[in-house]
Amino acid sequence: MILQILSEYQTGLFIAFVCIAVAFIALIKEKDDLHRLLLTDIVEIIALVVIALIGTDLAEALILPGLVVGIAELLALAEVYIEKEKLVNSPEKFLHIEIMDSAPVILAVLFLLYGIILSGFTGGAVAGVGMVFYFLCKGSSEKTEIIETVSGYAWVAWVFAFIIFMTLPQYWFFAVMIAGAGIFAKVAAKMSIVGTMRGERNV
Amino acid sequence: MFELVNTDIEGQIFAYLPFGDIVDYFSPYTTILFIFALVFTIIAIVSKPERQVDVAFGGDAYYTKDISDKQMRFQRFMAVACGLATMGGVISGDVFNFTLFTAMVGIANIGIVASTRNKHVLDNAYEYGILAMIGTLPLFAGAAITVAVTGTLSMWLLFTPAISVPLIAKLLLVIGVLAEGMAPVYVAKAEITRAPGAPYILMVHVSSLVMFLRVIEIVISM
Repeated sequence: MILQILSEYQTGLFIAFVCIAVAFIALIKEKDDLHRLLLTDIVEIIALVVIALIGTDLAEALILPGLVVGIAELLALAEVYIEKEKLVNSPEKFLHIEIMDSAPVILAVLFLLYGIILSGFTGGAVAGVGMVFYFLCKGSSEKTEIIETVSGYAWVAWVFAFIIFMTLPQYWFFAVMIAGAGIFAKVAAKMSIVGTMRGERNV
Repeated sequence: MFELVNTDIEGQIFAYLPFGDIVDYFSPYTTILFIFALVFTIIAIVSKPERQVDVAFGGDAYYTKDISDKQMRFQRFMAVACGLATMGGVISGDVFNFTLFTAMVGIANIGIVASTRNKHVLDNAYEYGILAMIGTLPLFAGAAITVAVTGTLSMWLLFTPAISVPLIAKLLLVIGVLAEGMAPVYVAKAEITRAPGAPYILMVHVSSLVMFLRVIEIVISM
């Protein structure tokens, strides 16, 4: 019934005001500070809805600054909340970001896989970057003997490939593959040593 | 072309500054508010923060609260930003610019109060911040309803008798400025004036007062 009497804009405005009422009731009922902060975001979004109801280019131009203001206030308030609840952990290391605890294994594996696909010198560099990232995040307290072992075998593989080139040139493709794998492992190992040199006592 | 229709409140216009569609203007009313905000901004720039004295009850001991350089610089920056936003707001000839400047005043006010590392002050800054965030809803809603009904945001057109702005838009605008400037609450809370850094705290009061005077003038003229 009400939809027939009012225009589209007025209907939208009516629904928006219902949403505003719901949001404000929620804000009154909520006692937890953090939840109230999150609820204010709903209020901000309804403000954008009210602007968007105008449905012209001007509305579009007005939504952007409105959004910026909302985000700026949300950021400022989040800072205040962190400060007042003393949720600040002073970093133990120079560079310590949460993602450095959760992601290095996945990212390092992805880098390694991509490096293997590329193979050769480039692939080694890519895989090495993955390992550098891993060691930067995890620290080099892990055992690095395996890198040294791989590096040794890579050198052997490279020499072996050259012997094939010189003695059995008809198997050149096989030798190229071995040499590519060898230089890949060698470069990756050398790069990863850069990662292990970061921030440890004995370096 | 730019001539105010209703000169009862504003007086005759001195000068206007066109920035494309947005035409800021100086009338006796807005000029006085502008100078008021300007003077207090200069005070915030040149003055040193006062160091309050705490007296320990039951003894002769007293100590001054020290304000660190870093905190002083931040508060001063926020006070100056607040002053600039206030100046921008009072000479604005465009409703949406006015609301944006008001929102900026709100953010700067939170910054001024929240730079004090004191649990009580921070608790209050948080409450004010929530209020300021909610305040953007009536503020922008007021401007949006104005533009939806009248099709313009320029005060030059809105002030003419041909265009009538709905009462709800005016009301929302006033409520928005009240919430952003924290005008209705700051007098009731002692924490805000208890915070060290006196000349910068003043800017919270000045900005909300000036913005409120301006929004009342806009609402009456519309």
